[in-house]
Amino acid sequence: MEKHTPNEAEAPKTPKLSLGDHKVLVANRGEIAMRIMRACNNLNIPFAAVYTREDNQSGHGDLARQLGGDNCLYRVSSYHDANEIMSVADAAGCTAVHPGYGFFAEDFRFARRVTKRDRSMIFIGPSWKIIRELGDKINTKRLARSLGVPTVPGSDRPIYDEAEAERIAKSLFSFQEQQGVTHPLVLVKASAGGGGMGIEEVYDPDQFRSVYRRIRNYALRQFKDEGVLIEQRIKDFNHLEVQIVSDRTGRHPVHFGTRNCSIQSTGRQKRIEVAPGFAPDTLEYSFDAARVLTDIVDYSLTMATKVGYDNVGTWEWIVTRSGEPFLMEVNTRIQVENGVSACISHVAGRGCVDLISEQIRLGLGEELGYTQAEIATEGVGLEYRIIAEDPANNFTPWVGTIERFHWQDAPWLTMLTHVPTDRSYEIPTEFDPNLALAIIWGKNLEEAKARGLTFLQSIELTGKNTAGCELKSNIDFLKANTEHLLRF
Amino acid sequence: MLNISQLLDTIKAQPYREIEITTPHTGVLTFATVALGDQVQGPQGQWKEKRGTLLATLERERNPKPICSLEKGEICALHTELEGKFVEANTPIATIRHMLTREEVEHIILKKTLYLFRAPERAKYYFTPEVDKKIHAQDQHSVKVRDGMELFIMSRMKREVHLPYTGPQGLIYTVYFKYNENIDAEAPLIGVCTQEQLPAIEEVIMRIKTEWTGR
Repeated sequence: MEKHTPNEAEAPKTPKLSLGDHKVLVANRGEIAMRIMRACNNLNIPFAAVYTREDNQSGHGDLARQLGGDNCLYRVSSYHDANEIMSVADAAGCTAVHPGYGFFAEDFRFARRVTKRDRSMIFIGPSWKIIRELGDKINTKRLARSLGVPTVPGSDRPIYDEAEAERIAKSLFSFQEQQGVTHPLVLVKASAGGGGMGIEEVYDPDQFRSVYRRIRNYALRQFKDEGVLIEQRIKDFNHLEVQIVSDRTGRHPVHFGTRNCSIQSTGRQKRIEVAPGFAPDTLEYSFDAARVLTDIVDYSLTMATKVGYDNVGTWEWIVTRSGEPFLMEVNTRIQVENGVSACISHVAGRGCVDLISEQIRLGLGEELGYTQAEIATEGVGLEYRIIAEDPANNFTPWVGTIERFHWQDAPWLTMLTHVPTDRSYEIPTEFDPNLALAIIWGKNLEEAKARGLTFLQSIELTGKNTAGCELKSNIDFLKANTEHLLRF
Repeated sequence: MLNISQLLDTIKAQPYREIEITTPHTGVLTFATVALGDQVQGPQGQWKEKRGTLLATLERERNPKPICSLEKGEICALHTELEGKFVEANTPIATIRHMLTREEVEHIILKKTLYLFRAPERAKYYFTPEVDKKIHAQDQHSVKVRDGMELFIMSRMKREVHLPYTGPQGLIYTVYFKYNENIDAEAPLIGVCTQEQLPAIEEVIMRIKTEWTGR
């Protein structure tokens, strides 16, 4: 992969503007839209926002009107329609588009269109070429292997042919048997999927074909692409990630440490994130945990430097019980859980860190202005994802109307939610029923956990669905798993 | 069995419905040469390939999108104050007063005659691959359903669960949902008639054909 020189390739045709001369279109919804709006507000950058008919009660609309006035909010037919985003950006006179996460955040065609159209704008994210290269899990795997970065054994491109899929699965089962794995497993996943959706394990080689067909059909329905990836399923691992930040030069990426995202739903969707990723000073591990953290940070920075990574991004890792790290993928966007890294970080002379503000500032062309040596971390951060779902029933989403949502505020707590607390709120079925993110800081893991439990116990969350059944949430699941955080 | 004559009389007493025309997406709106009280046409042709009367054009990203009348009728509201303005998605631009067609009356009466299997929750619905294949190869009348049969996949927030059919054994007479569209809770998914009901249903259709002179 060639090193990319983003500033030359992506330079907008208009003269360079100062931050306050820009106007950002917030092309997302819910809590991330609210965080982007607040970040723009803190940077004194005007913004425009969008919402859909289904989202007319979402708190992100309220905040947009509050911070940007009535005229900054536009109703669109869909968040997935790029034409709508461009149309609103033009009508509002925006100079940049922030995609948030999901939707267009990792769509290189969208990023390219934003920067290459006649009225070009800035895509607040990595340059489209980097999204294209690293967004492709296969390319990422090849790049990683070329740099000596360990990756999970398996297919190195999407598979569309059943016979080929079976051959790969067979070889992965044999490989594991040769390695002495007593219960070999193969993972089949939709190559166009993400966020833990469209993934199934195969225990028995004879079952492979039916699982393959099921995932292929699911992928076609949900992602309009029936390609699947087939990999060795590594069991008993921790899921870690490294937060990378870089300016448009792509020359001197820095990291904001590691996160541990191992507490997940059965569908492998994250539920609690902790920063830093391990606690070698207070917990015992069967491997050198401090060394693993250093290794994954070094590997991630090596790759980021190699490609000239030019905005925020996350390198996702699997760490086995024996302490072996394998790169899973690179998320070329801001992550939901960015706040958990930010809450433990300080930059000398600048104080607290807001990674979304950093993303906007750097995306609009400002220099990073600090080095790795000036970044320090203090304490432990936790993030709880509060979701209307039934953990006892395979984390099935719950849909209905929230009647009351209340919690006890605290100086160590940052609550991020689009759910209005002054009125009832019907959860739209078009989106995941994520209700809030709670970010908690403690001076050490024990204090963070204790504060986390105090917060969870303070939550009042009630509602009913159309059948009159009570709201189901994952709060008890979060409480039960707080005890196990960072243990391996 | 329903009293078809009575039902037809009720419909004949109020044979209109008002259709609100809204913008499908954002863009700059330009009205066509239409005015309040004008008669407009809906899509025509064997496959409805000829679009209805042009009401307005919505331009977005230099692509003009014609907004046409969806049914035959009379323009009873027109929001000309939006001329030349950038409008949001789902903005009402006109209302058409439309007299019910024979097919619409059939549709109304069939909904009262058939056994309706309804969506338990707001979600997207699909037939299972086997049933889908059969419907594509033949038609929905070829699918016999019985209580407990795995008929649907219910998809909500990208999670899929199988939804078995519950109700009397019979044939799928009408399909009320479209793929990739969200269906509200309690909206009908399919209309089912038993083999014995089939002649009676066909008679209902015949009576509407002869008695409804709406179009």
